[in-house]
Amino acid sequence: MGRSRVVVVRASGSVSRTDIPGRDLVARMFGRGFALLTGERAPKDALMSVFRPGEKVAVKINTIGGKAISTRPDVSLALAGWLAGNGLREEDIVIWDRTNRELRAAGYRLAESRERLKIFGTDTDGVGYETELVSHLNVGSRFSKIQTRLADASISLAILKDHGMAGITAGMKNYFGAIHNPNKYHDDRCDPYVAEVFDAPPVRDRHRLSILDCLVVQYHRGPSYHPRWAEPCGILIFSRDPVAADRTGWDLVERLRAARGLPTLEEEGRRPVYLFTAEQMGLGRAGTGGIEVIEEDVQ
Amino acid sequence: MSFMTRRRFLGHTAGAGLVLGAGLPGFCNRLAAFGQGAGLSRVEARYYKKLPDREIKCQLCPRACRLGDKERGYCGVRENEGGTYYSLVYGKVCSLNVDPIEKKPFFHFLPGTGALSMAAAGCNVNCRFCQNWEVSQVRPEQVDHYDLPPEAAVGRAAANRCPSIAYTYTEPIVYFEYMYDTAVAARRKKIRSVVVTAGHVNEAPLRDLLEVVDAVKVDLKGFTQDFYSTYVRGELKTVLDTIRAVGKSGVWLEIVYLVIPTLNDRAADIRDMARWVRGEVGVNVPVHFSRFQPLYLLKNLPPTPVATLEEARETALSEGLRFVYIGNVPGHPGESTYCPGCGKVVIRRIGYRIDALHLEAGRCTFCGAALPGVWT
Repeated sequence: MGRSRVVVVRASGSVSRTDIPGRDLVARMFGRGFALLTGERAPKDALMSVFRPGEKVAVKINTIGGKAISTRPDVSLALAGWLAGNGLREEDIVIWDRTNRELRAAGYRLAESRERLKIFGTDTDGVGYETELVSHLNVGSRFSKIQTRLADASISLAILKDHGMAGITAGMKNYFGAIHNPNKYHDDRCDPYVAEVFDAPPVRDRHRLSILDCLVVQYHRGPSYHPRWAEPCGILIFSRDPVAADRTGWDLVERLRAARGLPTLEEEGRRPVYLFTAEQMGLGRAGTGGIEVIEEDVQ
Repeated sequence: MSFMTRRRFLGHTAGAGLVLGAGLPGFCNRLAAFGQGAGLSRVEARYYKKLPDREIKCQLCPRACRLGDKERGYCGVRENEGGTYYSLVYGKVCSLNVDPIEKKPFFHFLPGTGALSMAAAGCNVNCRFCQNWEVSQVRPEQVDHYDLPPEAAVGRAAANRCPSIAYTYTEPIVYFEYMYDTAVAARRKKIRSVVVTAGHVNEAPLRDLLEVVDAVKVDLKGFTQDFYSTYVRGELKTVLDTIRAVGKSGVWLEIVYLVIPTLNDRAADIRDMARWVRGEVGVNVPVHFSRFQPLYLLKNLPPTPVATLEEARETALSEGLRFVYIGNVPGHPGESTYCPGCGKVVIRRIGYRIDALHLEAGRCTFCGAALPGVWT
């Protein structure tokens, strides 16, 4: 396995608590992210090196943290707009999470029209979870029909947060929101469950891209929102390697913690060991030696 | 029951059958009219500790979930909202039936009666062989439920002539507040409460619960911690502590051991378990060896051979346990109760149905020997 490419795109200039990049700047960040990740200069070529024309793409976001610390509408709508502007059909894109209640609480306006961008939760009438269990290694779960039936391909567009049990929650753990029973998989620092949920066919066969929303990072006492430990960073992280993306996010969390004099996650007994399990399962690279990080500022 | 002739008993059972066959549909319709599809409850949970920064620590079961704002516990039915812990399933019934009490199973508790059997969603373990996973291994918003406050549940039990309410199907410990309040309301109306549990509960809530319920059936799912870690995701020690506490409390106790081929059917484990029961709660506690059916995440194993169940029963009997049963094998002689005095059948069962009853005031009508249990 060669080195995995991770792209870190940063909104240039100072980013303050009240100066989170707006949708236009985020859209430009997506453009650079895709270009640097794929090596394609033209946006359409970059997009089509990840997706095929006519594919239905599900963008899994994380809205459990409410408006303050969820994947932001400005981020997911900017992504949807960029995808739709460069080769995918708007009606083939769905932004989703577990419940409509959580989506609304995070600032989303639900949209179910067949002709437009769709935004809704698994609990929408007529959607729900598959009846059949997927039994995979230590995991037995029913998957959201959004992931299994409405998507040919999926993007994990997660917010990066410290997590009291898992160490961090990022792109891979975001798919806990695609199963009916995530509460059963938080033992033992979520290991091996994060890796095994990701490795289950409904996810592994569709996942194409991890993008971490690090515009504001909860670097301590997550996953709940605590403003004194939430840092505006103005960063988006891209990778086709889900493990490498999360490893890069973990490093960012550790840098923020170190800057505030906090112990490392390992010192707190919360090292995200599921990333190494994922590496052993062949899902990607968890060691920094196997990861090529490309960083760029965008104005 | 003090004494019941066979004719009187069969008449009683037939009445229960009418309730089962005809009463329940209307009953469910009425429930649906006032609550189906309603949201989740927001009743403050008991047994938790508030921590700084809106965190809480649950103290209901040994998992001791420590949760931030907006997080749920392992059970999936208790949620931290802004530093207050809430039960989401108080009065939210997802399953409701009138069952023969033998189905729980209770074999020495009001035999031949119907139990209003109810459940709210959720469980605090995750057995790979769960027989009710569609309601126990889900979050409450993923199943249909009805509003049935405690007083209404008691009213339904009375209307259906059920002398007991059974908290069953899922894990009632996770809806502790609802179960407790219902049991209190039921006792006021002289309706008993029986609990069907995996026994994964802390000492303090268990102690409180035992003050208001009348019988507890504990599913002892194996007799090694290794089995509990791998197939149950729980702690054997806690379950044994629960059995011991129920046994000492005076609340009627029965134990079920689901025998799973190759996983928990070693003769040595069965013998160890029987010796433990004998030593800790006594030889009069009924033990049921139930037949496994391949479900949920253990579909690769066959149903338990009847011979394995018979061997387990013989082992337990040889260790001195007096009331050892075979479950989920309708018509098997091991379903029946034998008098410890004369050895004759005093309660002959076929599945959940009682075919003959030779008990009078809890005594064998053949020899007069007393049988332990709650008979009236």
